[in-house]
Amino acid sequence: MSLLAMNDVSLSFGGVKAVQDVSFSVEKGEVFSIIGPNGAGKSTLFNLISRLYDCESGQIFWQGEEITSVPSHRIAELGIARTFQNTELFEHETVLRNLLIGKHIHRRSNAVADMFFLPSVRRQELVFRKEVEDVIDLLNLQHYRDQVIANLPYGVRKMVEVARALCIQPKAVLLDEPSSGLNPEETEDVSFWIEDINEELGATVIMVEHDMKLVSQVSDRVLALADGQVLATGTPPEIQQHPEVLRAYLGDAE
Amino acid sequence: MRFVQKTSYDQDIRFFEHRGQVFWYGLLALAVLIAPLFIERFYLGELSLVFIYAIAGIGLMLLVGYTGLVSLGHAAFLAIGAYSQAWLMNQGVPFPLTLPLSGFITAAVGALVGIPALRMTGIYLAVATLAFAIIVEQVIIHWPAVTGGFTGMVVPRARIELINLDLQQPIAFYYLCLAILVGCLLIAMNLLRSPTGRAFRAIRDSEISAQSLGIHLSSTKTLAFALSAGFTGVAGSLFAHKLGYLAPDSFTIQTSILLLLMVVVGGVGSLHGIIYGALFIGFLPQMLAVARDLLPVGIAQMPGLEPALFGLILILVLIYEPLGIYGRWLKIRSYFEQFPLYRRATHKRQKSYLRTERLR
Ligand SMILES: Nc1ncnc2c1ncn2[C@@H]1O[C@H](COP(=O)(O)OP(=O)(O)OP(=O)(O)O)[C@@H](O)[C@H]1O
Ligand SMILES: [Mg+2]
Repeated sequence: MSLLAMNDVSLSFGGVKAVQDVSFSVEKGEVFSIIGPNGAGKSTLFNLISRLYDCESGQIFWQGEEITSVPSHRIAELGIARTFQNTELFEHETVLRNLLIGKHIHRRSNAVADMFFLPSVRRQELVFRKEVEDVIDLLNLQHYRDQVIANLPYGVRKMVEVARALCIQPKAVLLDEPSSGLNPEETEDVSFWIEDINEELGATVIMVEHDMKLVSQVSDRVLALADGQVLATGTPPEIQQHPEVLRAYLGDAE
Repeated sequence: MRFVQKTSYDQDIRFFEHRGQVFWYGLLALAVLIAPLFIERFYLGELSLVFIYAIAGIGLMLLVGYTGLVSLGHAAFLAIGAYSQAWLMNQGVPFPLTLPLSGFITAAVGALVGIPALRMTGIYLAVATLAFAIIVEQVIIHWPAVTGGFTGMVVPRARIELINLDLQQPIAFYYLCLAILVGCLLIAMNLLRSPTGRAFRAIRDSEISAQSLGIHLSSTKTLAFALSAGFTGVAGSLFAHKLGYLAPDSFTIQTSILLLLMVVVGGVGSLHGIIYGALFIGFLPQMLAVARDLLPVGIAQMPGLEPALFGLILILVLIYEPLGIYGRWLKIRSYFEQFPLYRRATHKRQKSYLRTERLR
């Protein structure tokens, strides 16, 4: 049984067929990359998986269970975390608090307990803090812990977003273009932490990425998408030599 | 500059970051506790009013400053709290019990209003809450059996019969309002340092992220509405005793604007700001009286001068100091802390990066 399976999923915006009969499956423990030219429908796929958009047809399965119409706030509980292409952080809050919000699904307290900050709430806060601190260590964010997001450079924001996703303790993380907007050194780091997430935390990584060097370094399998349709799936070398993929990328130039 | 060395996670959870803060807040606590010994009765009454405004301010701040939902109708919750208090007392419910009860009643109404209102954001929500306030005003006028209608109703004196304590005496009332304000502040501070408050802030900054981190938008917003209304309702029940007599014209749109003015002038997104804001609107009438004397007669006698001034202040603050009095104070403090090194650009608003397009 695959961890995640998309079965003939489609969605269009007005006349634009953003995603058309897309099927693929991701196995547990994989690093699975999705590539494709601009507007291919990659981010739309992520938005479908995190249930921000509804599928027009097709099904999505998570660990064998259909999640096609599960409400979006339940997705995190299932163990699916994500980042956004242009970052969606809580701008007016510190890094620490952003990460603590990532702990939301693990809360056991209710609003009344919170109002009086009962001992159980305090204990829970300390556990959360400890776990958040582990993520901060993993991604080297110690220096920024108490800084407000609005004052941070773009590269750090992207890392904070990844950290926040990890606070969910997810089974799978969806990363939307982790290296876009980063400088070359930061991009080099990306491959290291993706491996850390995959190997140390045992999370399956599904990422959208344009940087082919990064993709071939870390991915087990790659899905190539163009105009909302699947072109090919395979190992990085297979995809790089696939005639359809080459045509999609270089087509107009030829 | 002060660097706080942190040695345990507990330190970030505590209310006070360092000894200095404990000292200053201790001093403040002492000052408000012994104030009745030194202050004239009139100003004691004004201070009680400031405390009441501050309690309502906590409610409104939770909604506006922390959940990012604007309400132009909070006078309605103040009214519901006030009328519930008077009505419950007229039914013979003993005094201290009526306070939490009217808080609960108002919170329940807040939750009911919250359910449809949550589908809206920004200006639409503001208009919807305004409409709600108008409905409540009409209900008060047209339901004389409970509210006394146009003529209004007398608020029974706040007494605790058991120990024969008259809480309506200026000094007793001052302490009553102070105690309830402190209680409400503690509850608000607890909420804000725990998961519930974090969920509010998350929704304020990005609904999409909040959702994908597992926060249920509508129930969290409903909760924020209910809590906000609850605090305001408690303020309303104290306000009823302050007024002594309730009539529909005590809770108008102007009151709603005044409450919003308090939150904005004090500083959106900080509990400190509420106290500054409450002091500001509490002593606004006196300031306006002084201003009247200074203005030319033609302008000073103009009807509608007050609401116009409220509006003007609101706009000026939003343009020049969006973080309000508290924000200004933080800047002044960091100026002195960093004294010779202060750079003008320290508090320049930074350009923020693109947010995820296409998602809204
Ligand atoms: N909310 C929306 N409303 C209308 N059209 C949309 C929306 N979201 C996506 N689209 C369209 O769907 C298509 C796929 O968009 P998507 O964002 O998924 O592309 P992408 O592969 O992520 O591209 P990029 O590499 O630029 O991020 C595009 O043509 C886009 O204009
Ligand atoms: Mg995209």
